Amino acid sequence: MSKITLFSAKKIITMDRNRPEATHVAVRDGRILAVGGADCAAPWGEAVVDESLADSVLMPGFVEGHAHMMAGGIWKYAYAGYHDRIDPEGRPAPGKTTIEEVVEGLKEHAAGLPADAPVIAWGFDPIFLPTERLNRHHLDEIAADRPVAVLFSNFHLMCVNSKALELAQYSRETNVEGVMKGADGTPNGELQEMAAMFPVMRRLGIDFRSISADREAVRAYGRVAQRAGVTTITDLFATFNPGDVDTLLEVTGAPDFPVRLVPAMGGTGAAPAEIAAQAAALRGRSTDKLRLGAVKLMTDGSIQGWTARVKWPGYVGGQPNGIWNTPPELIAELVAECQKAGVQTHIHVNGDEASEVAIDAIEAAGRSHPWAGARHVLQHCQMMGADQFRRCADLGICCNIFANHIWYFGDQHVALTIGEDRARRMDALRTALDEGVRATIHSDAPVTSLAPLFTAWAAVNRQTMSGRVLGEAQRVSVEEALHAVTLGAAYTLKMDGEVGSIETGKRADFAVLGADPFEAGAEGLKDVPVRGTVLGGEVHLL
Amino acid sequence: MSLPPLPLTVIGGYLGAGKTTLINRMLRAPGGRRIMVMVNDFGAINIDAELIEAAEGDMMSLTNGCVCCTMGADLFMALGDALDRRPRPDHLVIEASGIADPSRIAMAARAEPELAYEGIVTVVDGGEFPRLAADAQIGPQIEGQVRAADLVLVTKGGAPDLDLRLSVLSGAPVARLEEGTDATTLLLGQARDAKLPVEGRGHAAHVSWQGTGPVMDRATLEARLAARPPGLYRLKGWVRAPEGGVHEVQVVGAGVTLRHLREARETQLVGIGLRGTFDPAEADRWWRGG
Ligand SMILES: [Zn+2]
Repeated sequence: MSKITLFSAKKIITMDRNRPEATHVAVRDGRILAVGGADCAAPWGEAVVDESLADSVLMPGFVEGHAHMMAGGIWKYAYAGYHDRIDPEGRPAPGKTTIEEVVEGLKEHAAGLPADAPVIAWGFDPIFLPTERLNRHHLDEIAADRPVAVLFSNFHLMCVNSKALELAQYSRETNVEGVMKGADGTPNGELQEMAAMFPVMRRLGIDFRSISADREAVRAYGRVAQRAGVTTITDLFATFNPGDVDTLLEVTGAPDFPVRLVPAMGGTGAAPAEIAAQAAALRGRSTDKLRLGAVKLMTDGSIQGWTARVKWPGYVGGQPNGIWNTPPELIAELVAECQKAGVQTHIHVNGDEASEVAIDAIEAAGRSHPWAGARHVLQHCQMMGADQFRRCADLGICCNIFANHIWYFGDQHVALTIGEDRARRMDALRTALDEGVRATIHSDAPVTSLAPLFTAWAAVNRQTMSGRVLGEAQRVSVEEALHAVTLGAAYTLKMDGEVGSIETGKRADFAVLGADPFEAGAEGLKDVPVRGTVLGGEVHLL
Repeated sequence: MSLPPLPLTVIGGYLGAGKTTLINRMLRAPGGRRIMVMVNDFGAINIDAELIEAAEGDMMSLTNGCVCCTMGADLFMALGDALDRRPRPDHLVIEASGIADPSRIAMAARAEPELAYEGIVTVVDGGEFPRLAADAQIGPQIEGQVRAADLVLVTKGGAPDLDLRLSVLSGAPVARLEEGTDATTLLLGQARDAKLPVEGRGHAAHVSWQGTGPVMDRATLEARLAARPPGLYRLKGWVRAPEGGVHEVQVVGAGVTLRHLREARETQLVGIGLRGTFDPAEADRWWRGG
């Protein structure tokens, strides 16, 4: 008989209504054998008591339904963002609230690099530093003899120093859209969009593919998850080159890899029927720590970039409607082929016209290839109204709502993109739940930081960075928010039978917390310390 | 070792417009070039793998997704791979996805010193275009693809007034792609060492023209190029400058690039125009200043 481990805790919040609280949980073969008091394992035989979590609060391990592998690999570059973060090794990465702080931070970082290595940073966001625009002169202070590049948080822009401009042969004569120029007619260092960024990225060796796929990136992603109390995490838009699955199997299969990884294959690069077949074939290679077989589909862009497809009356500034990354008729074909092959899809929808198109596509697929348990998931769902949530409830469509946006970009949405009234009903978790939708909330890391308790806090409070409350009527309770980041997310991954609550029979995946989130309450939720995780009964403390 | 820049042509157009058919046709008559094709659109017709081999070419499939979902980084990373290929291909052709703005891809050829801009060709299904352009959801992006074009190729019919509409929208020459048309030279230009006549199957879509002669200052040359005859799709070569050296001339569609080089060369221009629209005799009169 395998060994039984009995964990004692200050408190166990199970998210199981049959026994909402407990003090002990018994684990055998990586699964929960019993939950309750000190004697809960008694009927099963001798148990070894583990007291290492005795002064911690346990919750089901958090489930992040929308994040990207790059949230791990990107930390090989210096952090230049506005908000405080923690790197995968647990070192604080303090936010840079002025351009001077960005420059000072990078000087320090450069001093630690080999003399000829380029200085590369990420996460900078000018929206929070409205005084002066970052330009090459600032970055020349960091280094004049080697290239410096600062990637913006949306990865669509970068600013580089004079040396980097010189390497790309950008000069006064350059006439390229996206190579921005100053009043003196010379490039000022800012490069917009990939075409203009590409020559610099190429010469500095910045390759988004490797920081989203190589072994070290996968391991770093695992550490980022562990720090956030996350035991199941998605990678929404994975590319699978030959050998990639083997790498993932090897890395995730290691006993010290602390998270279950759920990559959804990017739905491009082949004809729809072929994509569906590839995903269906990948499913067969799944293990308990690597779940393959879902597909991610793109529709529109982002609201703060004015590229989301929005319904009438459009953007408040009169900007033209956004752009499709996949034409609506192809979205319909992709969903139909996936549904036909029994493949679940995650569909990116920011604007309400995009969500409408996705719901229509799923409805049509349901008529041609009925599949009641498909659980297709709309991702972001930022502008959906009650009518669309009702359709989702009717059709069994799940919604993963971008709750963090309210805090990070809520003020900008009011002032610049869709205006007060539609911003109030953005990311409407309250409406979704009330209309009977299976819903969860997410960070989209690395776009915002991975921290389910912060995401829960954002959904509970709907406070923006300026301190106002945006859309009081859409607030949810602490309990609903915690359900969303555990069982709610597990449901969208079809893993609710295995993870998402602490109950007998499920996998022994826990978030180890320094305080009780219910006691911390609406205000303190985001400040509850995470001490690590337990995955399949293995303790991974920080 | 410094290699000549890799010419890049972007083929745009909506799903089913005939982009793949066009590429297959170029591969069938590559004119001695090693053409590398990057495919970003997948439909009923696929690039013929046998043609790729026969043309000593190369193919890469792309995904256009990425971390934050909308930047299309994969395509550019693949561009980097193409540049790193040895031997480097003679020409890179990117088939843009059905909804993509081809100019966002082609801009890379203007930005990257190791790439040479060889134009945007937008393929239009003549029968479908009016309906697509009027579609409230995708109409603006469909028209945007035509607006970005240096050359518009119409496949599959269309009303008589369509060509005029496309030409007004794009400001570029509009040609019909008939069954059996050999469009390779028109689209990709003369092969680098095309001394020997290249036999393509089918009839050529282009007419060639050559000009020699005068020394010209930059302002005169700019004015002359601005008045170039209709249907002249590409123009390449050198014009002697009075101050010494030459103006290097590069015209693709609507785009004119002039660069002063300190090289001693004779004035020599090679032009390619659309058969039926472009008249070499008219070009002679134009170049002589008549
Ligand atoms: Zn995302």
